[in-house]
Amino acid sequence: MSATAIANDFTAFEVTDLAGAKAERAAISINNVTKIYPISFQRVRQAIQRKCLHPVEALRGISFDVPQGEIFGLIGPNGAGKTTLTKVIATMVQPTSGTVSVLGYDSVFDEEEVRLQVGLASAEERSFYWRLSVRQNLMFFARLYGMRDREARRRITDLLELFNMGEYERRRFGELSTGNKQRMSVMRALISDPPVLLLDEPTRSLDPVAAATMRSVIRSLVQQDRPVSILLTSHNLSEVEELCSRVAILSGGQIRGLGTPKDLKAIEKPTERVHITMRGLGAEEVELLLLPHLDDLKLTIEGSEIIISFTRLERDDQLDLALGRLHDHGASILAIDFERTTLLDVIRGYQDNREAQNREDSRC
Amino acid sequence: MLTADKLRNTYLGPKAAGSNSATVADEERKADVAAGAAMRTLLLVRRVRGFISRDFSLAISYRMDFFMRMLQTVIIVTALFFISHVFRGRVQGSPRQWDDPFAAWITGFALMSYFGCGFSSLANAIRSEQLQGTLENVLMSPIKVPTMIIASTAWEFLQASFFAFFYLFLGWCFFGVQYKGNLLLALIVIVMTALVLQCVGILSASFTLVFKRGDPFGAILATGSFIFSGVLFPTQSLGRTFSVISCALPTTYGLDGVRRVLIQGQGWGQLRGTLTTLTLFLIGLLPFALALFGGALRRAKREGSLVQY
Repeated sequence: MSATAIANDFTAFEVTDLAGAKAERAAISINNVTKIYPISFQRVRQAIQRKCLHPVEALRGISFDVPQGEIFGLIGPNGAGKTTLTKVIATMVQPTSGTVSVLGYDSVFDEEEVRLQVGLASAEERSFYWRLSVRQNLMFFARLYGMRDREARRRITDLLELFNMGEYERRRFGELSTGNKQRMSVMRALISDPPVLLLDEPTRSLDPVAAATMRSVIRSLVQQDRPVSILLTSHNLSEVEELCSRVAILSGGQIRGLGTPKDLKAIEKPTERVHITMRGLGAEEVELLLLPHLDDLKLTIEGSEIIISFTRLERDDQLDLALGRLHDHGASILAIDFERTTLLDVIRGYQDNREAQNREDSRC
Repeated sequence: MLTADKLRNTYLGPKAAGSNSATVADEERKADVAAGAAMRTLLLVRRVRGFISRDFSLAISYRMDFFMRMLQTVIIVTALFFISHVFRGRVQGSPRQWDDPFAAWITGFALMSYFGCGFSSLANAIRSEQLQGTLENVLMSPIKVPTMIIASTAWEFLQASFFAFFYLFLGWCFFGVQYKGNLLLALIVIVMTALVLQCVGILSASFTLVFKRGDPFGAILATGSFIFSGVLFPTQSLGRTFSVISCALPTTYGLDGVRRVLIQGQGWGQLRGTLTTLTLFLIGLLPFALALFGGALRRAKREGSLVQY
């Protein structure tokens, strides 16, 4: 089954599902959302510039649900529509058609309620007051949520401790490092303790230790008594694989695939590359032994060792066969490595398909 | 819509939310409405305080700016005092208000700085948030449009009030200007005029949301008010053609009203006409301005241009 087919099936399922019942159980429910950015004063501009201007279609028929307590990943190349989708959920951008509901509240008609439920940590560094301190910035946003001063102060202290930012609380935001600014963004999203979090590249600009801490904080949020539902967009695919129970691949404003990271990888390439490092046999001998039986065989000689690489379907018997034949002819096996399909391969696959499709379309 | 229960739950905890659950339905509903209104007021106060506190912290991070503005005010008042010697007794038109041109000028300058705040404070606040990149995050909070309008201009109005008072204080303390009349009445006229001008400010802000720059409302009305509403010379000396423009400006009525109270010592009965005119301006402009601002916000969201500047 192709990824597109899965996405289509999923969309079909969503459309036929009862919206009300779904909205009740889902933290975020997105139904057939399309976003076309209009061109302001299109006719006037066209007349002045004397060229045809087309509105940008950022999202096309997006549908999926994020159940409560799930970390849902959104990945895709630049310009795929990830940020637009996040902003639509956060009520900052209105969809052209379709509906988005957060814990049952509609993002257009119950805007204020949706904003009470959602915390957004954007990747935008320029979203704080640079001349105010860390604490003053957080205090301002806490007051916007109507929090009492004492409650806000306590919450800010807890967050500063959680993110190891205590020593910076009196420092001006403009004096913080890029990584700390990023942490501030997540802290602000958490200030009102919202049940739904939208995290746009939360570990961008963080050093490996800080990134690991951030990931552990994100994980802990869904494990608490009142679990938070998280929509996470990231370019760090290993992070998405590590954190998210389900992932949607967005490309050209459309969902190209949706499922668990494992499922998605299996759809794209249910194969893996095997590398066997051995010694005790010559390259020609190895080739004679294995060439008729293995796909895409390649030998690399490194001193007295030979690295045998081949592609196999996951869990088939080719590895067993290769090891048996090598062993029978007196080879010593030194190491075996596997190179499995990553989400990057999946995205590349979709991109290649899209480029091919575009070429095909332009020929037509 | 936020219900009172939800508000109580969110901001005061579940205990408060369940406190009146055993009462009769009708009473409960009434109590709910009252509690809802109280909660909303409380939230509004908290948010306005949040904005004022933020803007105060930002203002004191530029310490010199404040002192330079005070110095500038002192210089302007002193200059007006000496220039007024040239014109004393020569100003034609409204004789009582302009007997002492210095008193007329400092009330005019004091109020124009205040009224100017009405014209431009909201548009400036929005523009500043756009430039800082914080507009989206402010609008991400559960804050209603009217709250945002009040809260984001509150500090500007406080500051303008301080400088308006400072103008009047300098005139009284160092240059012998005597203010008569009811200060409360003067304050009411000022507040009414400021509210009307705030409506124009909302129109300016709507323009800023959509077009980002080049706001015609603020620019034309601020300049027009300075020239045609009697800040520098009596409106009676404008001639018939320009008097029409003068009559169309709310600042003309505000300024005239305040001068009639503070300089001429007039009371409530004599100011009835001014207050009625300002009320009519307010009734005509406020719903239109709020609707336009809501529309501009929706348009910016549709176009995804909230962060653009």
